[in-house]
Amino acid sequence: MIFSSELIKGTLKTIVLKQLESNKRMYGYEITQRVKELTKDRIQITEGALYPTLHALEADGLVTTETEFIGKRVRKYYSLSPKGKTKIEEKLSEMAEFMETMKFLLDINPTTA
Amino acid sequence: MYTLTDTQIEFIQNDIRARGVLMVGLQQDLLDHICCVIEQELDPDGNFDDFYQHRIRTFYKTDLSEIEQETIQLLTFKNYYVMKKIMLFAGAFSVLTMTAGLFFKFFHMPGASFLIAVGIILLSLVFLPLLFTLKIRENSSSRDKIITGVGTFAGILISVGTMFKIFHWPGANIIGILALSIMLLVFLPVYFFSGIRNPETKVNTIVSSIFIFYGCALILMMVRSSAASNQLMRENAEMVLRNENMLSEQQKLTAALVSQSRIDNPSAQSTKLENEQAGQIGLLANQLKQFLIASETGKAQLGSGDMLSDMDAGHYISDSPKAEAQLKNLTGKIQSFNKTSGGNIPEISGIENRKLSQSINDLILVEMAVLQNESAVALQK
Repeated sequence: MIFSSELIKGTLKTIVLKQLESNKRMYGYEITQRVKELTKDRIQITEGALYPTLHALEADGLVTTETEFIGKRVRKYYSLSPKGKTKIEEKLSEMAEFMETMKFLLDINPTTA
Repeated sequence: MYTLTDTQIEFIQNDIRARGVLMVGLQQDLLDHICCVIEQELDPDGNFDDFYQHRIRTFYKTDLSEIEQETIQLLTFKNYYVMKKIMLFAGAFSVLTMTAGLFFKFFHMPGASFLIAVGIILLSLVFLPLLFTLKIRENSSSRDKIITGVGTFAGILISVGTMFKIFHWPGANIIGILALSIMLLVFLPVYFFSGIRNPETKVNTIVSSIFIFYGCALILMMVRSSAASNQLMRENAEMVLRNENMLSEQQKLTAALVSQSRIDNPSAQSTKLENEQAGQIGLLANQLKQFLIASETGKAQLGSGDMLSDMDAGHYISDSPKAEAQLKNLTGKIQSFNKTSGGNIPEISGIENRKLSQSINDLILVEMAVLQNESAVALQK
């Protein structure tokens, strides 16, 4: 099963920040591949969603970028800023609480099911 | 693994730009991304063109530039709530200062102009631009965006033009005419005819259009043609000129009376002090009058065909500390003279709030009263 982009949209910032936390610095394509690999193809981040999110995170000061020339093209590496490092904790606990709430709200509890 | 040539990379780069992605950072991201995709997924002997065209299509729904639009959307959304707060605050504060300003102006209290200026500046340079920025995000079609833009622009021009008019700054009429023309000849027809086509917005559009029309009409009602204005300004000057002639007749008469009384009664000294005081008042009134005439016309004396505008005398007086001091001095001297000598020289406090021609006439009346006072003294002897 591949999750729909609607479902992923609200969690994308958290997913990206978490990847950057565990892998120090990454470029866009690398992030999509890494997430795809980790979720066994179930979460496929589209280019149309990833780059706007990365730019928004950069504007918020949560990530920083460094560029490297690869032949004729430029590769932009994204990494967590100090502000991003504190933000990730907040984002993760928010997500955990959200998942608990959704489980309760939609009555998806493996023990009672 | 496929190896991309420099020509192919350049081709992709140009293609991304041609598809409407204009942010350089985003161009770089997308170029590197698609290059990675090709290198990883295309066989070494695969067909570059076919693969690229097929793969780039998976980046978007209708066209590639939607990624850029989404980016801009996310970047501005961050400021959305702050902008909205500032807009509402500026709007509310502008209404408050404008209300206070109108109140002050109505009662001729100091500070009115400042409050009105703050109100208009907040409205036209903070509230309206922010309203426009937030509104166009809600408009889906570019036609609606243009209508909103033109309307906001005309609104800003109207309020700025009105401010220029109140403060007698140059260019007020041009701004005003431009603003009303855009409003009535461009914005209103486009807004009206595009709005009435949609059944949902029909009634609202008609009602708003009537309001906009009457708003502009009320402003236009207060506007005179320049020929009519010139006529009025010439009449103002003529009235002053007639009074000046009367004053010079009185001067001759008084001079004759005084010299006659000196011959009749050479030893009279008792009223010298009183005369001196009155003389100073006459001199000050004359200086102030000359200052106003010179400031308005650039000439030392008013001639036939000159014009005096409708603005307040205070406009010139407040610009010159010397004139301000003279006016204060004159007001005080008249009051003390009237009190101590029982004179009847007209009080002039508040002339800075009167129209230029009226205040010049007031000053002529003061000079006239001084001369009459002198004549009366001469006759008594």
